[in-house]
Amino acid sequence: MERISCFDSRSEGCKDDKQEMAEDSFEFGDGILMTENLLQEATVPGSSFTALLGLPANQAMELLQDPLSGKPQTVIAPEMWRDSRSGQEDMRYTFNCSPTFPTDAALVERASKFSVFAAAQNSTDKCPVPSNSNENSLKPKSEPADSESNPSSCLVSSDPATPSENQASTKRKEREKKVKVPAKRSKNVENESSKAGEAKDGEKLPYVHVRARRGQATDSHSLAERARREKINARMKLLQELVPGCSKISGTALVLDEIINHVQSLQRQVEFLSMRLAAVTPRIDFSLDSFFAAESGCVTPSSCPSTVTFEPLMWQQQQNQPLWEGDVLQRQMWERDDSHSFLAPENFLFSYNSANSVPLSSNHLKMEL
Amino acid sequence: MTPSSFKQELLKKWVLGLQSCGSMAKEMSFLERKNAIKLSADIAMASARGGKTRWSRAVISSASKRDDSKLLVRNILGNEFERLMKASVGTPSCNKRFMSKKILRMSRGLRRLRRSTARRRVQASSIAKRMVQRRTQVLKSLVPGGESMDGFSLIEETLDYILSLRAQVDVMRCLADASERLKSK
Repeated sequence: MERISCFDSRSEGCKDDKQEMAEDSFEFGDGILMTENLLQEATVPGSSFTALLGLPANQAMELLQDPLSGKPQTVIAPEMWRDSRSGQEDMRYTFNCSPTFPTDAALVERASKFSVFAAAQNSTDKCPVPSNSNENSLKPKSEPADSESNPSSCLVSSDPATPSENQASTKRKEREKKVKVPAKRSKNVENESSKAGEAKDGEKLPYVHVRARRGQATDSHSLAERARREKINARMKLLQELVPGCSKISGTALVLDEIINHVQSLQRQVEFLSMRLAAVTPRIDFSLDSFFAAESGCVTPSSCPSTVTFEPLMWQQQQNQPLWEGDVLQRQMWERDDSHSFLAPENFLFSYNSANSVPLSSNHLKMEL
Repeated sequence: MTPSSFKQELLKKWVLGLQSCGSMAKEMSFLERKNAIKLSADIAMASARGGKTRWSRAVISSASKRDDSKLLVRNILGNEFERLMKASVGTPSCNKRFMSKKILRMSRGLRRLRRSTARRRVQASSIAKRMVQRRTQVLKSLVPGGESMDGFSLIEETLDYILSLRAQVDVMRCLADASERLKSK
């Protein structure tokens, strides 16, 4: 499959860049924010680039530590799962250099437009300065992104952008891309000069290859290939961040291994949980009335920080205190035989569950999915 | 769509499905019960996701083709939506696309075979390619409706599928925990 062949060519071409890629993935969030701002300001690519070259080391180290210390489960929320509230908070988070994966999806799209990745640091003193403008500039951008709940629509939006995104390339290559987005590109993966557009013939820089000349002829193909490859790599990065323990792995095949294992384990969990439920209930509709009735009696007080996010939801839908009384609930469910009655028990169930089960904490839900 | 709203939708539909299951057959063996629970959960997850993703459409279409789950699908989805689903999944076109891709893939494999027997040298790139290919095949078999997807949409669908699976596991675990706790009391 040609798509998959792209993986391979990429992986072999970028073996030495794997380290960089691993680090880059962590500094992604912050780097993008700063880069964007800088790129908006600077028109001369040379000067901004040299400015950008300033800070890979310290920021990278800082960022490296943050994701390592972060929870493994704080996982990305791709476009379809985002809501505006978390999006905004996450913007602020990224600036505090914490590993907020939820923004990465948005940032991927943004960053791809500006296409600077590893070189995305400025000096530390500039950090607070672009923060405000970044937040402001990014917030309105996050709104339309948040409204997208369709992965395909996100795909469309990222299409024009991803050609310029390259996560494992050298800085020069990225700079070249940023400059020459509409221009022709060479086919080289490892080395591209900053002036690759002019240096197609290989005059300016020592390490521009013969392939550069061929690239001129098959340019549309290479462009399309590059675009496709980068799209795929962007998505693979998202997947890597989604699956726990995958971001350290380099190499497509191993990442795919992890993804497969994860999917299989999730499916197995579903199987086992359905077995547990089948064991618990004698009848399939497992005596919902007694279930909810009993639940009302045993709502523990230990709950409540996690119920905060649920309760506004609940109370918006149904403002009734009787939610907490089993008798009324029971009557509600069985006397009113419409779907609306399901809301009450489900809301109740959610509040109960969120109260008692740690995994359903509000943060977890906001960021996990 | 927020994760919590997805979970709520899922739970609602799942309970719907379970109740319809319960009304259909009073006496069920353990295995039957388990399968019914799992089926309702899967269909609820797919329908809560809506018709936007290919895997959800594939789940629903495959469930509506099977006799034992047809009624369940109808109950959970509601008739309008189910008809929409049937209309959106163009089976002949899917098959054609799938078959043509299969042919392409086989022909490519043959060409590679011939070329590789010509040169004895084993390239690392080809090994890596094969590895990735094998794994994508496995992934395709895991994700519902994955056979007819190309690389990029496969990744998209996997992403969405993993998220939905996680939500489903969360909801099921909560229900299981709660009901077990109840029973122990």
